[in-house]
Amino acid sequence: MRSLTARTPAGAPTAARSRGGRAALALLPFGVLITLFLLVPTVSLVWGSFHDSRTGAFTFVNYSYLEHPLDLVPFANSLELSLASTILGGLVGLLIAQAIVSSRRPFIQEIATTFSSVAANFAGVPLAFAFIATLGVNGLLTRTLLGAGIDLYSGGFKLYSVLGLTVVYAYWEIPLMVLVMLPPLQAMKPAWREAAEILGASRWQYLRSVAIPILMTPFISSMLLLYANAFGAYATAYALTSGFVSIVPIEISNLINGDVNYDPGLADALAIGLAVIMAVCIGGRAILERRSTRWLSR
Amino acid sequence: MAYDPLLARIDELSGAFTAGQIDRRRFLKGLIGLGLSLPAIGVIVAACSSASSTASPAAAASSTAGAASLPGTADLIAAAKTEGTVYQTGIPPEWVNYQGIFDLWKADYGINIDGTATEGEYSSGQELDSIKNTGKPDVGDVGIAFAVQAKTQGLSAPYKNSYWADIPDTAKDADGYWCCNYWGAQAFAVNTDAVKIPIKDWSDLLDPSLKNAVGIDGDPTKANDSFFAVWSAALANGGGVDNIQPGIDWFNKLQQSGNLTAARASDANILSGEVKVAIKWDYLGLAVRDKAAGAPNITVTIPSSGSLASPYADIVAAKAPHPNAAKLWQELIYSDAAQLLFLKGYAHPIRFDVLNAAGKIPADLAAKLPSADLYKKVTLVTDIAKITAAQTALGAGWKIVINS
Repeated sequence: MRSLTARTPAGAPTAARSRGGRAALALLPFGVLITLFLLVPTVSLVWGSFHDSRTGAFTFVNYSYLEHPLDLVPFANSLELSLASTILGGLVGLLIAQAIVSSRRPFIQEIATTFSSVAANFAGVPLAFAFIATLGVNGLLTRTLLGAGIDLYSGGFKLYSVLGLTVVYAYWEIPLMVLVMLPPLQAMKPAWREAAEILGASRWQYLRSVAIPILMTPFISSMLLLYANAFGAYATAYALTSGFVSIVPIEISNLINGDVNYDPGLADALAIGLAVIMAVCIGGRAILERRSTRWLSR
Repeated sequence: MAYDPLLARIDELSGAFTAGQIDRRRFLKGLIGLGLSLPAIGVIVAACSSASSTASPAAAASSTAGAASLPGTADLIAAAKTEGTVYQTGIPPEWVNYQGIFDLWKADYGINIDGTATEGEYSSGQELDSIKNTGKPDVGDVGIAFAVQAKTQGLSAPYKNSYWADIPDTAKDADGYWCCNYWGAQAFAVNTDAVKIPIKDWSDLLDPSLKNAVGIDGDPTKANDSFFAVWSAALANGGGVDNIQPGIDWFNKLQQSGNLTAARASDANILSGEVKVAIKWDYLGLAVRDKAAGAPNITVTIPSSGSLASPYADIVAAKAPHPNAAKLWQELIYSDAAQLLFLKGYAHPIRFDVLNAAGKIPADLAAKLPSADLYKKVTLVTDIAKITAAQTALGAGWKIVINS
């Protein structure tokens, strides 16, 4: 379409302007999407969090949860869970990604990428059941270990706890890390290493002065992505613990669907707390991303 | 559905056969006399025979039933047949043996049942919405809170069935706008392969051998089943229908003891042994016991300190398009035959005590259930104000159980 109109001589003088207009038009669906699914909900959240659910009057009372230690437990649990699963998933994922790149075999890379994209999206109820069958009180691994004289549960492990959820979250955090770290690792040019070696650098000097500075930004931004991903996850945790381990997303869902604790105003206020943490993570990632793409563009 | 003399005649014959008025030979001869094909006769006889095996003794014994020994007066039956259909909302065939009751209804009256496919799985709230907005439903099966709501919103019509006197006052609306039809009570479903100590009462669940073994059916602030589990625990610990707090405190003790597992007492988790003692509705526990069929062995018991029961109620829609069929449906479901079918589906029919006292519960059915004596300690909860108060108290208290 564009090439057709561009060829029309009569359209030539206004081509630049109309292309700008058309570009704006092409952005329209995206704009509508952003408005409907991001801006409107955000505004409604902020508005709702400052209004009483019953009377509709302006109030700060929804934010009073910030003063109650018991109401902050979900935040503490969420932070702990996200941090632990990010560190576990991030480090293991990085090592696997590096191993895949070092293998220098394209088919391994392909298999690993395909598997990772499947595993990174395997979550929710099926994942919860898979883990119950493996690491539950009566799970296969639990019982096998028990047979070998190792009692996980009397040793303090519990699948239905923050620690258990950390292990479950790592199941998709690791492949996600592999997926996001493969491109920067693959983009590391052998020439950089050769140049360093020719100049007499040791392996450690190459890592410290070349590889780590370049990879630091994609690494940190990937970790932030993992963190935000863990923080917002809901279905797996709910299917696994049916609300016994209170984390922020479950707490919010209780407040909006529960017959017992219906309080959308408080849910809005909790969601704002969640959104602030997420915004810091994603914003931080965006800033770091901009810094690293300079070096890794091919 | 238009009036069809052939269908009406088949109804009459099958009704008489099901009620035991004519024998199988006369029934068959009658059907052949109508010029029906053999396969068609086969289908009719099979349907009637399955219904008659459960229905005929009870129907014959029922003194309250009207014409042709069927529940409902002759006038009501005739009027309902003219309407030709009963439209139901929230009444799925697989729930509490409704399929058996559908079969009984069709065998007795031959009246069409509509709505099952579209609205069978509706929740109570959706049922009321459908009555209000579509005007299609004649009858609905709703949670007790919604039955009360239906009355206040003018969505239900008053009708007192012929068994009204049998039904406890707390289980019916004084003006007839709703009537409870069956209930479930909180029970323990115990995996006896894994649990070696006898589980009789709430205090047994605190035994140190039950680490990570006791589960409830979901988050009590969301799910009715586990909400009643917490509330029932109050009975053994100085609380009751008026005071849920001792139940919350007891669950806190259970949590501190390390016996409470966060694994949901779902069928899958009970069957796999992940949850070894499930606190849940008796009918769900009995169903999973049957499903397990010995792998693992599961015993269902009612706690000896008692537990709470939550009833479902039937309502007739205020603007029912088939008001007589709706009333006839009420007559049927409270009749001995249908009430025993509920029990067969492990829901306790509202006339359980009456049927039990009259010795009308078949021994083989009674053997599949916890003893009727244990059920004497079960308290039926129908007071909406008390339910709301308990929910509010739980909302505040449960946070302490899971977060401390």
